[in-house]
Amino acid sequence: MLAKLKPLLCAAGGLLLAMSVSAAADHDITIGAILPLTGPAAPIGLQEQQGVTFAVDRANADGGVQGHKIKVLFEDSQGKPDQGVLAFNRLVDLNDVPATLTAYSSISIAIAPLGTRREVLIINPAAQSDKLADASPFLFNTIPLVRDEAAVVARYALEKLGKKAAVIYENAAAGIDGAEDFKKVFVEAGGEIITEEPVEFGQTNFRSVLLKVAAAKPDFVYISVTQGQEAFAEQVGQIPNFPVAVGNTFSTPFFGYPSTVGWYHTAIKSGITPELEAEFNEKFDTKEMGFFSREYFNSTNILIQLIDHVLTAGKEVTGPNLRDALLEIKTFKSGIADITFETNTAQREVEIMQHGEKERIKIDYTPSK
Amino acid sequence: MLLLQILADGFVTGCAVGVVAITFAYVYSTTGVFHVAHAGVYTFGAYVAWYLLQQGLPFLPAAAISILSCAAVGALIQKYVYETLARRHASPLVMLIAALGLLAVLQNIVAMAFSPNILQFDLPWRLEMAMVGTVFLSYPQIAVVVTSLLILAGLMWFSSSTLLGQRIRAVASNPSLAEVTRLRPNRVFVIVLAIASGLVAVPAILTGVDQAIQPYTSILVLLSAVIAVIAGGIGSLIGAFVLAIVISMVLNVSILYLPGRWSLAFTYTIFIAFILIKPTGLFRTRVQRAS
Repeated sequence: MLAKLKPLLCAAGGLLLAMSVSAAADHDITIGAILPLTGPAAPIGLQEQQGVTFAVDRANADGGVQGHKIKVLFEDSQGKPDQGVLAFNRLVDLNDVPATLTAYSSISIAIAPLGTRREVLIINPAAQSDKLADASPFLFNTIPLVRDEAAVVARYALEKLGKKAAVIYENAAAGIDGAEDFKKVFVEAGGEIITEEPVEFGQTNFRSVLLKVAAAKPDFVYISVTQGQEAFAEQVGQIPNFPVAVGNTFSTPFFGYPSTVGWYHTAIKSGITPELEAEFNEKFDTKEMGFFSREYFNSTNILIQLIDHVLTAGKEVTGPNLRDALLEIKTFKSGIADITFETNTAQREVEIMQHGEKERIKIDYTPSK
Repeated sequence: MLLLQILADGFVTGCAVGVVAITFAYVYSTTGVFHVAHAGVYTFGAYVAWYLLQQGLPFLPAAAISILSCAAVGALIQKYVYETLARRHASPLVMLIAALGLLAVLQNIVAMAFSPNILQFDLPWRLEMAMVGTVFLSYPQIAVVVTSLLILAGLMWFSSSTLLGQRIRAVASNPSLAEVTRLRPNRVFVIVLAIASGLVAVPAILTGVDQAIQPYTSILVLLSAVIAVIAGGIGSLIGAFVLAIVISMVLNVSILYLPGRWSLAFTYTIFIAFILIKPTGLFRTRVQRAS
C-alpha cells in the first residue's frame, strides 16, 4: 500500500515545494546591482557591494518592505561597458527587475538607453561623467557630476592659488570629464593650463609624469584620478618641489601622506553616524565605512523607500512607478546626505577641504562676484 | 637634470622589464610556447611576497619563498598544461589560448585570494632615496637594477657554462633529436619553466615594493617584454634585455616632448618601423629552434 502511495506522495511533496518556492519568489522584490566585482575597478566595486548589502540586510532584518523581502542580484560588469550591457539584459530578461543600481560612468552611459527602452529605473550613486546628466529619463544620479565639483574648485584655485595650472588626469570617462570641466571653467575665468598629462587606470608608476609636471612649474596641479592615490602620493614625496595640488571627491584618499599636506579637494557633503559606521565595520570587518559604501548604502535605501512608496499607493513595483515615486518624493533625507532631485541629478552641497597633517579641514569659501 | 632623471627611471623600469623579457625568451626559445601566462606568474610572485610580509616574515625569507612558489607554479603549468596539450598534438594557437586562459586564472586567483586593491608593501626602507651621480633613486629601484643585471649575467653563464644549461640549449635546438638521445625534453621543459618563473618573481617583488602591486598591471609589462624579445632577436637574451631598456627609456623620454597620451603609441610605432626594417631583430639569434 505504502509502496503504491510513494510516487503519489513524492509528487505531492514536489508540488508543495514548488508552490512554496514560487510563493517565496512572489513575495520577494528583486532589484539588480551592476558593479565591477572583478578587474582593475574591483576594489571600488567591492566597497559598493558592501554598501548595497548593508542596506538590504538591515531592511530585511526589520521585516523587509511591507512584508516583502528585498533581494539583490549582483552582476559583475568587470568595469567594461559591454559586460555591463550583458548584465543589464540578464537582470531584465531573466529576472524582470524593475530597478538596478549601477557603477562607473562608461557602464552607466552604455545601459542608459536600455533603461529607457525597457523602462527600468537606474540609480547611479557614484559615477560622475557629465554625460549622465541627460543619458536617460530613467537614470537618476544621487551624486553631483564632475562639472559641479570642478566649477567650485576651479574658481577657488584661481582666486587663492594662481593662474597657471597643470592637469593630471586618468584616461577614463570620469578622469577625462573632470579635467575637461576644470579646464573649461578655469580658462574662461582667466586661468592658463600650461601642461596636461594622462595616467592610465590602475597605473602604479607615476614618476615620469610627476617629474614633467613639476618641471613645468605651475602654481598648482589639478588631479583627476580615481585609483592609485596611495602610490601617487608616495611618489610625489620623492619628487623635489612638487607644487600644491587640488582635486575632486576622488582625491580624498590622498589624505594622510606627508607629501600631500596642504592639498585641496572638493567633497560632496556626506556624513555617517558613529553607531552606523560601527555596525558596518563589525559586519564587514573594515576600519571605516568609505565613501563608496556610504553612497551605495544611501542610494539603496532611497530605492527601498521608493518601493515602500509604490506599495503604499497600492501599485505594482515597476520601473515607471518607481520613477514616478522618485519624482514625487523629490527630497530624501538621511544621516548620510540630504538629496533633492530637481532634475535627474541630485543637488548636494559641495565643500572644499584641505589636507592637514592629522585631519582634513573644511575651508570657508564664498566665490567673489 | 630632468632628462637624466627621466632616463634613469626608464633604465630602472627597463631592467625590470628586461628580466621579464629574458625569462620569456628563455621559455619561448626552449619550449616554443608563447607563454603569456608569465605575466600571471609575475603578479603571483609579488602578491605572495606581500602576503608573507603581512604575516610577519622578514623581507628576504618572504622573497625567497615567493621565488620558490613561482618556480613551482611554472613547473606545474608546464607539467600539467603545456605537456598535456603537447601530448595531444595541440597547435601553437591552442597553446597560446591555454596560456591566455592561465593568465586570466592566475590574475583572478590573486585578486580573490589576496585583494584586487592596489596594495603597498609595509617596509620602512622602501621610500628611502639615494643620490646616484646627479640622479636620485629609491632603494628598491637600486635593488631592481642590481638584481636584474645579476640575473642576466647569471642566466647567460648558466646557459653557456653549466651542464644543465647546455642540455637545455641542446633540447631547444632540436627537441626530437633530444628525445632520441635521451635528453628527456619534457623534464628539461619543466626545469626551464621553473627557472624562468622563479627569476621573474624578483623584479615583480622589487617593483611592487617600489611602487605598488595590482593584479592586472603585469599585462603592460609583458607587452613591453614581448616587443623587446621580438625586436632584440628571438632567442637572444642580451638582445631582449637591451631592447627592454631602450623601449622603457624611449617611452619615458617621449613623455618629455609629447603629450603623455601619445607616448605609448609613438614608442611602439618606432618599433614597428624597426621590425619592418630588421625583422630578425637587433641581435643575432643565439638559440634557433629546429623547424
